[in-house]
Amino acid sequence: MALLCASTSVIFSSSSSERPSFASLKRTIPSNQSSFLGFFPVVALSKPSSARTTTLSFSKRDFRVCCQDLSLVPENQRWMFEESEADGPDIWNNTWYPKAKDHINTEKTWYIVDAADKILGRLASTIAVHIRGKNLPTYTPSVDMGAFVIVVNAEKVAVSGKKRTQKLYRRHSGRPGGMKVETFNQLQQRIPERIIEHAVRGMLPKGRLGRALFNHLKVYKGADHPHEAQKPIELPIRDKRVQKQR
Amino acid sequence: MNKKEILKLAKGFRGRAKNCIRIARERVEKALQYSYRDRRNKKRDMRSLWIQRINAGTRQHGVNYGNFMHGLMKENIQLNRKVLSEISMREPYSFKALVDISRNAFPGNKNVVLPTRKADISINV
Repeated sequence: MALLCASTSVIFSSSSSERPSFASLKRTIPSNQSSFLGFFPVVALSKPSSARTTTLSFSKRDFRVCCQDLSLVPENQRWMFEESEADGPDIWNNTWYPKAKDHINTEKTWYIVDAADKILGRLASTIAVHIRGKNLPTYTPSVDMGAFVIVVNAEKVAVSGKKRTQKLYRRHSGRPGGMKVETFNQLQQRIPERIIEHAVRGMLPKGRLGRALFNHLKVYKGADHPHEAQKPIELPIRDKRVQKQR
Repeated sequence: MNKKEILKLAKGFRGRAKNCIRIARERVEKALQYSYRDRRNKKRDMRSLWIQRINAGTRQHGVNYGNFMHGLMKENIQLNRKVLSEISMREPYSFKALVDISRNAFPGNKNVVLPTRKADISINV
């Protein structure tokens, strides 16, 4: 009863698509190759004959596997390594830490969300989670692994209750008597982007990394944004109460 | 410890703490106390990181960490959190299988995923 069901765990090495996917059943090393990438056999699901079987439908998911260069040492270089290192770095007993190529800014996902009639705090919470990267299994607190988020229609964001007239935004100039207080309405008339920025900044970590993360949030007033080249995708919001009830 | 050893340990410190022995001695003592404490803290921090990574991985499949671990405990799967976090990063399909096992461990669960049969999987060589 205790064992991991072997029939369910079909182990894939979901390597990135640019590598040639030749299948080899054993991890043997041809001697004339300088670097070898071990691959598990590519498994194809045949058509399910009965209605009971399920298909592994991973097409919509974004399974980014962190760098899997299973580089075995070729035969003629084995003398350089100790016995324990000859099979490549130990990935199962050491916790993975991202290298520079795992968080290149140009390869991060861009998300877009329309803020019209969404509750401010719930929206900001989801945005902060995605910017910080806490939805990814490769999350690391000291490294920026998150995505970029574009918010459009920032002036139409909604709040519940009487917050429109009662929520106060305060700032201080540093001089005595220099406290400036504004209501939500007044700030929305003046600079609507600042409302969402203020909300998300409060939910990101405070510190050098937090300030760098904040720059990954792009808020715009209307429905247009200059980031079409990044091909942003729709931000998945799992909160059921984010939409303002009319 | 003599001065030479202390200044050797003080490499990389800020300001006069790396040069002047009187300041370096205090800072090095503090640094050694911190390293003693943090050798114990490191074990806690690592476990917390594994749990956060597992949480993120399971939430991608609609299950949160607490329910996932409860299901694994019920099925007596004794994989530790370190290995589970590595599986969630490197072997996503295996991890999905684990999440399904954990979900199926509760009778009366509506989102039961049935395992695929070996007869329906063919291997292309």
